[in-house]
Formats: sequence, C-alpha cells, structure tokens
Amino acid sequence: MKIAMIGWEYPPFKAGGLATHCYGLTRSLADKNIKLDFYMPKTKKSASSDKSNLRIIEVGETEIFPYDRPDSKEIGGNFYEAVYYYNSLVVSKVEKNIKTNGKYDAIHCHDWLTMKAGITLKEKWDIPLVLTIHSTEYDRSGWIYPNQWFIDIEKEGMNKADRIIAVSHFTKRVIVDKYGINPDKISVVHNAVYPITEGHKQEIVLFLGRLTIQKGAEFFLKAAQKVKDYEPDAKFVVAGIGDMLPRLITQAIDMGISDKVIFTGRLSEDEVKHIYGISSVYVMPSVSEPFGITALEAISAGTPTIASKTAGFSEAFKNCLKVDFWDTDEMANKIISLLRYDPLHRTLAKEGKREIELFTWDRVADKTIDVYNGVI
Amino acid sequence: MTSICLYFEVHQPIRLNRFSVFHIGNNNSNSTYFDSKLNKEIFEKVAKKCYLPTNNLLLKLINESDGRFKVSFSLTGTFVEFCKKYMPEIIDSFKELFKTGSVDMIEETYYHSLSSLYDELDEFEEQVRKHRQMIKNLFNYKPRVFRNTEAIYDNRIAKKVADMGYKGIITEGTDKILHWRSPNYLYKPVNCNLKVLLRNYTLSDDVGFRFSAKLWPGHPLTADKYANWMAGNEGDLINLFMDYETFGEHHWEDTGIFDFLSHLPGEVFKHDNLDFVTVSEAVERYESVGDIDAPWAISWADADRDVSTWLGNDMQKACFNELKNLGKIIKEKDENELLNTWRRLQTSDHLYYVSTKGMEDGDVHAYFSPYDGPYDGFINYMNILQDLKQKVE
Repeated sequence: MKIAMIGWEYPPFKAGGLATHCYGLTRSLADKNIKLDFYMPKTKKSASSDKSNLRIIEVGETEIFPYDRPDSKEIGGNFYEAVYYYNSLVVSKVEKNIKTNGKYDAIHCHDWLTMKAGITLKEKWDIPLVLTIHSTEYDRSGWIYPNQWFIDIEKEGMNKADRIIAVSHFTKRVIVDKYGINPDKISVVHNAVYPITEGHKQEIVLFLGRLTIQKGAEFFLKAAQKVKDYEPDAKFVVAGIGDMLPRLITQAIDMGISDKVIFTGRLSEDEVKHIYGISSVYVMPSVSEPFGITALEAISAGTPTIASKTAGFSEAFKNCLKVDFWDTDEMANKIISLLRYDPLHRTLAKEGKREIELFTWDRVADKTIDVYNGVI
Repeated sequence: MTSICLYFEVHQPIRLNRFSVFHIGNNNSNSTYFDSKLNKEIFEKVAKKCYLPTNNLLLKLINESDGRFKVSFSLTGTFVEFCKKYMPEIIDSFKELFKTGSVDMIEETYYHSLSSLYDELDEFEEQVRKHRQMIKNLFNYKPRVFRNTEAIYDNRIAKKVADMGYKGIITEGTDKILHWRSPNYLYKPVNCNLKVLLRNYTLSDDVGFRFSAKLWPGHPLTADKYANWMAGNEGDLINLFMDYETFGEHHWEDTGIFDFLSHLPGEVFKHDNLDFVTVSEAVERYESVGDIDAPWAISWADADRDVSTWLGNDMQKACFNELKNLGKIIKEKDENELLNTWRRLQTSDHLYYVSTKGMEDGDVHAYFSPYDGPYDGFINYMNILQDLKQKVE
C-alpha cells in the first residue's frame, strides 16, 4: 500500500500535537509495510527519516502558521494567497512523484491547511482522500467568533473526503453537529504517546501548551491563586508561548501570585521532557480540546493529570482527574489533594502509567490502516 | 431432601456531600457530611422499583404456599434509618412479612462496616449489639444467624461471632476455602463451634448477575429451568444469597425478574426433593460435614472474593487507617454526635467507591458509585476524614 500523507509540521519542527501525531503514525505505518511519502513545508530545521519505507518530502517554505489567529477578522489577501500558493506547490510536487513512481493508493491530509491540495489531487487523479481532524476552527477559537473562512475550507474538505478520522468522539460530534457530516463516514482513533522518563518529583504544578484562548491558561492561574495559601511551597509553571503570554503575565501580577508562577517561554524538546518528569501535577484546563496529547505525555512521565472534562483525552482515559475548565475551585481542590494526599498521588501515577501502555502508535497505525482498507 | 435457603441483603449507604479541601475546618455541623437530597432520591427510586413491589410479591407468595415458601433478610441499620425517615411504610411491610412466620432476620453490623477487620473487635461487637437492639425493637426477635458485611469472613470473625452466641454464620462458598468440596452442606470453622452457610455462587449469580445478560447461554432464565437446575444439585442445602435490589433495580421489571420470582415457589414445589428453609431452620435441621479454615479474610465481593474490594489500593488503606485511628480518639471523648458521625463514615461503601479495579469489577463499582471515579471518591472521603480529625483534636 502506498500513501501520500500531507501535513505541515513534523519533529524537530513542532508547534502542537499534530507534529507528534504525524511522527508516531508515519513511523508505525512504515513498520507495518506501508510505503509512505510525507509532504510538509520546508522549515529551518530539516526533518528526516531513517526508515526506508518513509520519505519526508519538503515543499517550498511558507509563512503560514496554522495555529495563528490573525488579528483582524477579515483575513487579508496575503494570507489567502500564501495558503493557495503553498497548496499548489504541494499538488505539483505530488503530481511529479505520481508521474515518475505511479499513483498513490490514498491521499491522507491533516487539518485545514493542506485540505485544498488533498481535494485537488483526489478530483484530478481519482485517488481516495482520508482526512484526519486534530482540531476545528471552533476549538482554536475557543468557540468565540470562529472564522468563517477556515470553517468553509474545513467543511469542503470534510464533505469531499472519502473517510474522516477524528481524534475523539468529542471531535466527531463537532464534525457532525457543526459541519453537517454523516457520522457513518467518521472513525474515531484516539492518540498515543512515546513514554517520557520520570524525573525526581518537585512541588511543581505544570501547565504546558500554546498560550492561546483554546488552552485555558487563565483558569490555571485562577486555580493557582486559590492553591497558594493552602500549599505555600507549591510552584506553578506555565510552559509555552502564544498570543496570550503578555496578558497572562499581567494577570499573574494583578493576582499577586507572580512570585509563585514561572513563565518559561518556549522550551526545547529536552526541556519539555524534563519539566514533565519533575512536575507533581499536570493541569490541562482546555476550553476546547479535541484530544490533548500533552496529558498522555505527562502521565507517561508519572505525573498525575487534571484534565478538562470535555477534552477528547478525558473520554478515553480513566486514571486521571477531570474538571470543568471554568470550575477553578474544584481544580484547586484537586491540585491541593494531589499535593497533600500521597496515596492519591501514588495510585494515580501508578495506575496512569499502566493505562498509558494501551496508548501506542502501533494501535493508531492499525486503526488507520483499517481506514485505508475501507477506501481503497 | 435438598433445602433452598433464599437470603437477601437489604442495604443503602448514607452517601456523602461534596466536600472540598476548602471546607475542612470551617464548619461545625456534622450533618453537612451526609447528602440528604441524593440519599432521599436514590432511596425513593429504589423503594418504588424494588422494596415495595418485591415485599408485596413475597407476601403473596408466602400466603399462597401456606408458608412453605421461605426467605431471610438482613436489613442494615442505615437502610432502616432511611425507611424511618423517608418511607415508614416499608418497615410496616417487613413487619407484615415477618409475622407470616416464614421470614427470618439475620444479624450484622448496624453500619455495614469493616469493623471486623480492625485490630480489636470491640467496635465490631458494639455495632452488632446495636443491630441486635434494632431488630429487637422492630420485630421483637433475636437473630440466630450472622452475616458480616458483604460476607467478609475469617477464623477470627467466626470465633467472635460464636462467642457472641450465634448458631450460624453466612459467607461465600469460594473455592479458596472449599477446594474440591461442595457449598451445598453446612461446615464448621476450624477454631469454634458454629455452622457455616456457604453461598452457592454459581446458582446465586445466575439470578443476581446473569439474569438479564442476553449473551449468557442460560438466558432467558425461567423459573422451571432454574428449579430443574436446583433439583439436579446434590447436598443438604442450596444457599442463594443476593442483593435484594436484584429484583427491580439491578434487573428492571421489563427483564421479567418479577415473573421469574413469582413462578419460582410453584416450580420448586413440583420437585419432591426440594423445599425452602430460613437460615435458622437450616442450622437447626442440618449438621456440619467438615471444617472450614480461613486464616485470611474472604468475602462475596468481586472476582477476587476477598477484601481487596475495600482495601485493594493505597488510597483505600490510607482512608481505612485514618478512620480506624480517629476512632481511638473519639471513643475517649464520649460524645454521642461525634461517635455517630464516625460510625456512619464506617459504612463499607465509602471505601468501595475508591476501588481502582479494572475490567468487569470496575464496571460494577462504577454502577454503584455516586462519584466520577475512585479518585474523586477518595478526595471527598479523605477531606471529610480530615475535617472530622480537626474536630476531635
């Protein structure tokens, strides 16, 4: 089986869970004898593959950063043009490979940025199109003023795809309810993780993610303020960058907790692993979270996790704590309990690590192959 | 002749309020621990689906059989408190059943607690006496057979129960203590003089667990099929022990569970070699055929049939120890209100909700739990124990 997969981030370039997903998925697919060409934008750090079945093909550079939320609501001509230009580059690159090496059995696209290319290739070459939805415009906007331009692209892609993979039932429902897609066309495949080594635990409560409205870091700060008086030794780490960083720093100062909160800025891959390893509690208070691979990463590092109830992760995982993202009293109650009650911390760490063993890329690859077999 | 001994556990725990770390130490009223609204809702729902209709049906069946159909109950103290508070008519209907002479009452700890696992058995004894007093007040009767919380049993408990004057004790007919032997006889503990009634878990679970399981080869289970199975069993005694909520709650009315029950006596009486006995009659009529040795506690709970249901993980052990230690301080204080609160917190269900067992057992635990999983159950329960600790210190 020969697949053209079109993504837009891949380690070492990584902005979110999509890169992690594509990395784990492509490598496990390659191990299962799938021939895979992975197309992605050229970045400063070049991506590569050590597997003979898996080729990483970099297409021209692009200025588009898919998680950005353009400031003005009408998206300017440059942005449009850049997206169309990049998609046409991808199309010609794929076509060139088809002409020299023969047709692919399926095209597999991830999220909105490359959907246009996927649709063009499907229609022109009559190749089945599979689409994985890692997040929708509704998630990225935190359900506040979602942008119609993105929604239209997503809708067109979902309509034309032969099969859709959603990273959770939560996301499947959004695709059905908000985009009007037939639920029978959608398969749910939960994400997976390469486990991270546990470090020497310190009294650190961690937030890690893009500092955008979607991820709910402001609720983390509100909970931190409530925890502070009860657990005076606890430190709160906000790791990551994003458009909300300045606002969050101001918020921490206004709340009088700036001595308890550390903003790390952007972390390297190794630093990320380190901070997961040494944290005692991980909090994922996302407003809208299709899955949330970071929760799996934290738990794999032996860090008990408090996750937003609606996160796709929460529907799939038992051994974690769940809260409504807005309920910062309950979030604080759970943070304090984890810091205070050692048996709770110990049991969650142990049972969580046991459960994480079910979340392998091998399983994701098997389920993805099932989807390929259904369209070929 | 093989006698069928039908016995039902009738229990409702006093569920707890949501109690966060921020509540610890800032309220003086004990009553805020216990969630009256949820407890009332659940109790009334189960009463309508199970207690009232099943009591009525049993009364009818006993009368129709001229008293040859017999059952035994163990009513927990917390259950009776709910009846008194919310639906006294349920007590009346149990009294009416008892008056037929075909209904027996079984002793247990008033609070359905794990006090039999404490280092000393004084608290256990007090809770049993409290239950004895309750049964005396309600039925003017002194039970002869004892069944510990969820049939928890070991040699030490058996000895204590024998010392307290009971003639029989009920526990699980698990292979752990029976090995190759049949549960369909009475046995004797290795260390004291008492008759042990052992639950026939296959036949009991056919009704209790599997009745509405469509994938089970025995489905649909009819009364005549079931009576035939029992008639084919060898032994003196078939002990069928189950939750009373089996009827109408665990298996809803539309599964046919009430039809099954209403035809059961008639189908049993078609077999000349079968009759019904109460637990007291069972220990009077039959003799022990062998010894039972249980150095470690067994129970009827989960697939493990031991106490790991309540003490299987670190969180459960921490709560259990905290609770146990609080008792030592509270008993010295001699304050009734505190003592009563502490005892209500001993109901084993609070620890049951904190179990992290996976697979099939996990689903059963989740079905009964008022929490979003064991961790929430732990946090809530432990927060309350911390608050109580501050109150007594």
